[in-house]
Amino acid sequence: MKRARFAETLQALAHGRVEFIVVGMAAGVLQGVPLTTLDIDIVHRRTPENVARLMTVLSELEAVYRDDPRNLSPSTSHLLGPGHQLLTTINGDLDCLGSVDGDKDYDDLLGFSRELLVGERAVVRVLELAMLLEVKRRAGRPKDLAVLPFLEATIDEIAKRG
Amino acid sequence: MPPEPISEERASLADDNGVDRSQIREMLRLTPEQRLTRIQDFVEAVLAIRELNEARPVR
Repeated sequence: MKRARFAETLQALAHGRVEFIVVGMAAGVLQGVPLTTLDIDIVHRRTPENVARLMTVLSELEAVYRDDPRNLSPSTSHLLGPGHQLLTTINGDLDCLGSVDGDKDYDDLLGFSRELLVGERAVVRVLELAMLLEVKRRAGRPKDLAVLPFLEATIDEIAKRG
Repeated sequence: MPPEPISEERASLADDNGVDRSQIREMLRLTPEQRLTRIQDFVEAVLAIRELNEARPVR
């Protein structure tokens, strides 16, 4: 990965009318968590129409699988499934997740997401901090547990601001 | 030379978990797009430094 143009990636997805929710620490950063991340994780809606729109944007971003010397591009069948497609693009790394937190998909997470503006006419959905905290807590891996104090403190600061 | 002790004022910025609340408040003053720009500038700077050092022998 040579670039980390996260905003451009999200704007491309938004302008391509892809239905997705930003999850992972990028969702945290977008809502004020003072940490950093090396990739963008999204959960996309796994309908044929939406996956077709996602495929168009991924093609524009020249997405291929990370750490794969064959430079394979993701396929429609991969993106229709619940698995995790770990990709790299001209704008940096992008993980397209069919589901997270066990088997929660886009529709399961939609009610726990909110819209944010990330550029001109570019509105994206992000997982709310309270849900992100729960997902990280349930994941329970050291890397997930390490960020819990930052998520809790940010939720607390937002509550104080009213 | 020993490091300067952290002043009480600076130390109080961190909560019981060591999280610097002033950094959160600073992030909350930014728009979501500005927050993204901040981390992408940081990550790209780190990547550039990594690339510069890839060709250097490890000492």
